[in-house]
Amino acid sequence: MTEEIISLIRENVVQGRVTRDDEGMDEGMVGQPGVTELIEEALASGMGLSDIISKGLTEGMTIVGQKFEAEEYFIPDMLASAEAVGAAMEMLEPHLTRSGIKSKGKIVVATVKGDLHDIGKNIVTILLRGAGYIVKDLGNDIEPQAIVEAVREEKPEFLGLSALLTSTMVNMGDTIKALTESGLRDEVKIIIGGAPVSEEFAGSIGADGYGADGFQALAVVESLSSGTAGSK
Amino acid sequence: MLVIGERINASNRSVGEAIARKDSELVANLAKAQAEAGADYIDVNAGASKGSGHSEMDAIEWLVEVVQTATDKPLAIDSESPDVIEAALRKYRGEKVMINSVTAEKSRLDSIGPLAARHQARLVALSMGEDGIPDTAEKRLAACEIIMTHLIKLGMPAEHVFFDPLVLPISVDPSQGLVTLKTLEQIKSRYPAAKTVMGLSNISFGLPERKLINRNFLVMAAYAGLDAAILDPLDAKMMSLTRVADMLTGKDPMCRGYLRAHRSGRIVG
Repeated sequence: MTEEIISLIRENVVQGRVTRDDEGMDEGMVGQPGVTELIEEALASGMGLSDIISKGLTEGMTIVGQKFEAEEYFIPDMLASAEAVGAAMEMLEPHLTRSGIKSKGKIVVATVKGDLHDIGKNIVTILLRGAGYIVKDLGNDIEPQAIVEAVREEKPEFLGLSALLTSTMVNMGDTIKALTESGLRDEVKIIIGGAPVSEEFAGSIGADGYGADGFQALAVVESLSSGTAGSK
Repeated sequence: MLVIGERINASNRSVGEAIARKDSELVANLAKAQAEAGADYIDVNAGASKGSGHSEMDAIEWLVEVVQTATDKPLAIDSESPDVIEAALRKYRGEKVMINSVTAEKSRLDSIGPLAARHQARLVALSMGEDGIPDTAEKRLAACEIIMTHLIKLGMPAEHVFFDPLVLPISVDPSQGLVTLKTLEQIKSRYPAAKTVMGLSNISFGLPERKLINRNFLVMAAYAGLDAAILDPLDAKMMSLTRVADMLTGKDPMCRGYLRAHRSGRIVG
């Protein structure tokens, strides 16, 4: 029964169904319980929550990521699945501390100064939240100093920077410099993303990681997380 | 439909590389091809060169020189920097010019507005201000009002103002097609003498068969009041659709433009 609910949750994440009234990617699903009804059922049953999150939600998004890579799923599909994960996490949040499940860490994200592109950043935010991280999204066109202040105040484990223009990606370097000058560089792991940036560019500006898309960003954060276990 | 050829853009890899190694033949050929295909303006954008060690200013001066030698078509100078625009205008020998672009942000209006007025340039005006890209038609019109008031004070004729209603992807927000179309309608209704312009590729970001979506958006936008489009003139289907759009909106008496294009083999379905 527990396995069944978890597997249904996973399936409805993949289908992007928040409630029983939603269509899924496939036809004919209206009327079947969506993520909301299934999480209600799971909470009522008193079952353990960490499996719901890891096997239901995170695994569901991993499957979505694979379909996206295979060009089976596109942005609207990913957003629907992410919405389902978001709805589930909102319902689970009040119960997490009670169950002894802590957040995996905090991440501050921003699109750098001069740049208004945010779709990639927003997708990464949703995926990270779905995977159990707390995400503070500063928005677009953010000055290096404002990012420094946010790091100082929020004390995140990670900082994610996004840029979509070759003319604004230089501001990623400026932001890292500003953090170094403020003595905060060693307090965060910095990952970057966006069409014009690369692994190479990340290295050249002293970032800790690079993700070519939201799913890779999540993978990089998870692997850097396990490297810093116990430090915060 | 006025066509502004978008191919000479440094953020495109082959063009960026051509700028870096000063390959004037590649750029000249691209300018000529766009002109031949029917572009009314040739846009030149050296912006991405920032990362490559060449200054945007040097790059735009080089681009202007190569393009104006290759074709008589007027240029659209595409940059966010007033200094770069000014450098390009100094190099440019043509009479007609377009500047791309200004917004309702005070610093840009104050610097680029007078520059455009002084050169009697057409001016692309983005419907946004200090707070980034507005997601509703109302907020975009508010930005247009700020811009128009300012430009009229500078003595710019309304006919020289090309408002861009802005385009956000529908893959992320399904209302954005209508927001752009409504913005176009309202701009034409409020400022009948002004023109409208937009790029076509943002609408389809994140979706399959992008060209199909972009092409159809062009035709819908023509009905909503689009006067000019920033697109790839070398896309024969897209260029055919500019003819179709003009004809369907009553801008091609006797269908002459369409039939002339057809006879010269340019109408492609």
